[in-house]
Amino acid sequence: MKKLNLKTKLLTSLTCISFGLTGLANAGAHSEDVYGPFPVTLKGYSGDCTNTVSYSGQIARHVQHDSLKYLSTKGDYDEMNAYYSGSDKNKQIWAPGSKDGFPIKQTLLNDISSGKNLSGKTYKGTITAWPENMTAPEVIDFWMMKAADNPKDVSVGLNYQQLLSKFIMGAVFYNQAVDNYLDEKMGADSKPNDKPYKDGACYTGKEHSWDEAFGYWGAAAHSLLLSAEDNYNIAKKKDLAAADYNGDGVVDLKSEYVFAHAYYASSFDKGGKTSYLEDITRAFLDGRKLITSANGEKLSDAQRSELMAYVDVINENWQKVIAESVFKYAGSTYKSLVALESVGNADLAKEFDKYMKYWGELKGFSMALQVGKENIGETATKLNRMIGFGPMLLDETQITGIKGMMGSDGKYITSEYEMGKIYSMNDAKLHMLKIQKLMIDQFGVEARANDMLADMSDLASKIGTSESAEND
Amino acid sequence: MEFFFDIFQNTIDQFTNPKKRVFVLYLFLSILIAALWLIFYKKKSLLQSIKFIFNPKVFFSKSATSDYKVFFINQIIMLLISPHLLTQITIATALYFFFFEINFIDMGLFASTPKYIIISLFTFTHFIVDDFSKYIVHRWMHRWPFLWALHKVHHSATNLTPMTVFRTHPLEGLVFTLRSAFAQGVTISTFVYLFGGGVDLYTILGANLFVFLFNVFGSNLRHSHIGIRYWKWLEYILISPAQHHLHHSIAKEHYNKNYGAALAIWDWLFGSLHHSEDTDNLTLGLGTKDDQKKHSLKELYLIPFYESFKFLKRFFLKLFFIRKIKKNKSEIYYKKSPQ
Repeated sequence: MKKLNLKTKLLTSLTCISFGLTGLANAGAHSEDVYGPFPVTLKGYSGDCTNTVSYSGQIARHVQHDSLKYLSTKGDYDEMNAYYSGSDKNKQIWAPGSKDGFPIKQTLLNDISSGKNLSGKTYKGTITAWPENMTAPEVIDFWMMKAADNPKDVSVGLNYQQLLSKFIMGAVFYNQAVDNYLDEKMGADSKPNDKPYKDGACYTGKEHSWDEAFGYWGAAAHSLLLSAEDNYNIAKKKDLAAADYNGDGVVDLKSEYVFAHAYYASSFDKGGKTSYLEDITRAFLDGRKLITSANGEKLSDAQRSELMAYVDVINENWQKVIAESVFKYAGSTYKSLVALESVGNADLAKEFDKYMKYWGELKGFSMALQVGKENIGETATKLNRMIGFGPMLLDETQITGIKGMMGSDGKYITSEYEMGKIYSMNDAKLHMLKIQKLMIDQFGVEARANDMLADMSDLASKIGTSESAEND
Repeated sequence: MEFFFDIFQNTIDQFTNPKKRVFVLYLFLSILIAALWLIFYKKKSLLQSIKFIFNPKVFFSKSATSDYKVFFINQIIMLLISPHLLTQITIATALYFFFFEINFIDMGLFASTPKYIIISLFTFTHFIVDDFSKYIVHRWMHRWPFLWALHKVHHSATNLTPMTVFRTHPLEGLVFTLRSAFAQGVTISTFVYLFGGGVDLYTILGANLFVFLFNVFGSNLRHSHIGIRYWKWLEYILISPAQHHLHHSIAKEHYNKNYGAALAIWDWLFGSLHHSEDTDNLTLGLGTKDDQKKHSLKELYLIPFYESFKFLKRFFLKLFFIRKIKKNKSEIYYKKSPQ
């Protein structure tokens, strides 16, 4: 009895201690795991700025992208372009907008940041995934013109809203972050940490470059305090409590909302197989702490190489998030191709609409994958050839090119139907499967949403390993 | 450290995983079947039967102790090489992609088949294909000199125990792994392509129903000193333990007989069937003068490499040489021709 008592006492005190420790850890985590505020480290700064974190320009661009996506089905080229190329006017935020139970603080673009545009920050290289050697801004302009005319062009199977949105996320946010801010601007002589980012700024070159990249990533400043599911629900505007970190009853787009690829990361992570959102956001936070710890001095070689290790984590995982999206929508497109074969006339239009949407997402994400820091070479060629310029249509024809001058409002050239030709609906399905395999082989995707080859791997694991050094 | 843990875990897994031959329950049932056979057929007493089954002369023989060594060493070798081997999934995926290119066979052609039929058919086909491929590969092992050089390791056992199943040269293990991957890859891809997402496997304790039954009914006695015989008619369908013992016999009339693993049908079809005989006086091994010297690790691991390579070299030289003769002949022919 005595022994038991002692045991109980011990257990009770241990429990108390562990609860106490957990409490402490939580209290600590609360501020430690939030991106900002970070103090001024710049030597000789005499202004009244106290927080050096600033990425409102990036948030403005996220909002421009969301609003452009919203406008892409409304048939007004000039209005779309006002969000893509920027405008002198203080434009309305079309998306993300408030909804019941999820009020958003800002309603006008200038409430976030003024004078911003997407066009100036769009990747300028040639896009081989699209005809006529267009640059990314030219492709986007071409699509906006087409969208204004007919946002869902059934005759060629293109859903411009999806194409625009998924490609812009890559050609602007992903490209700017990984190929500019986390690349050139992390160089030893570029944007040094012992000088202000620009004259009069309270943040150093490195601090601000890092913050800008974080802004493009799209996570909320407090994303690390939340589960993947919570982050996902913020982007779906379903969970005010999760979003409203400062408790003022409204969602501040500048720090409390989850945008773009951070949202896609959360959608994969909530399946439990991956932790992209956490890994990338953590690397951003740890990198920022490292820069802050340099205390306004130039980063040493050791500090820079430590920082570049965080950059590697960000690059690799961000690329994987896009590859996961390609994987997912190759699966949806495959499913649609199968459904289209057996669907009755009554549901044909509805199913074809889904098919256009999924193919558009697949195409957009696959193009995004090609505008990162790494030249994915052969993988890009394979993707572009297997996906094509347009989806395989029901008469087994598809877009092969564009008539007219580069970037003009040219008409599409489509292939002609031939009896017994090699490329058929079946091949289109096969391509989707090969794309999924390519994403596994090249990028090691793990979440694998809509895995169309899962039936086989499930069966294989049920049967058991084929490894055998046994003589029956 | 992790590596040692993996070895330990894999070793334990052989005895605790119902998908494996020497799972403890299967071993126990084999003992039970052996006892029943000895008591009711051989008319021995229970004590005599137990003494016979657990005969230390068998389990501590030179042959058996070398089985145990090979078992442990192979666990380590397979752990090292298995991540680099071709898997059933790689083969299944490649075949699945290939099927798409055959335009006259549509994907999901039989997808509307009732689910229980699909699952029964898959369970049965997987077992049949696996067993047949075992027969074919086993036959090759005996017929091709460079493979026989490896397979000899298994046949050098002069006493059979359930652990003799592991008495396998690692290179032979590679061949078996490829066989298994190929057999599974073909079945899985064909079924998923034709029947769609409804394909599944009937299992007991996680093992294929038929594999489970094969193991429950004394698969471990194939390698043992208990020569259980079946009725003659049944030995056309299933290989009895005694039939497999004959396969290990050094008698000339038993050479190249009974290659089958579970089913005897293949031997029957391809003319290699031999019905069982009383195995009490059977001599097992390779039939060389120094069979007892074949249990050293050098004989079990190194010599087979050397011999297999020698035969392989001879095979290629022959191939090259014959080609050369043919070429010379054709040159002569051309010289003679009017052109």
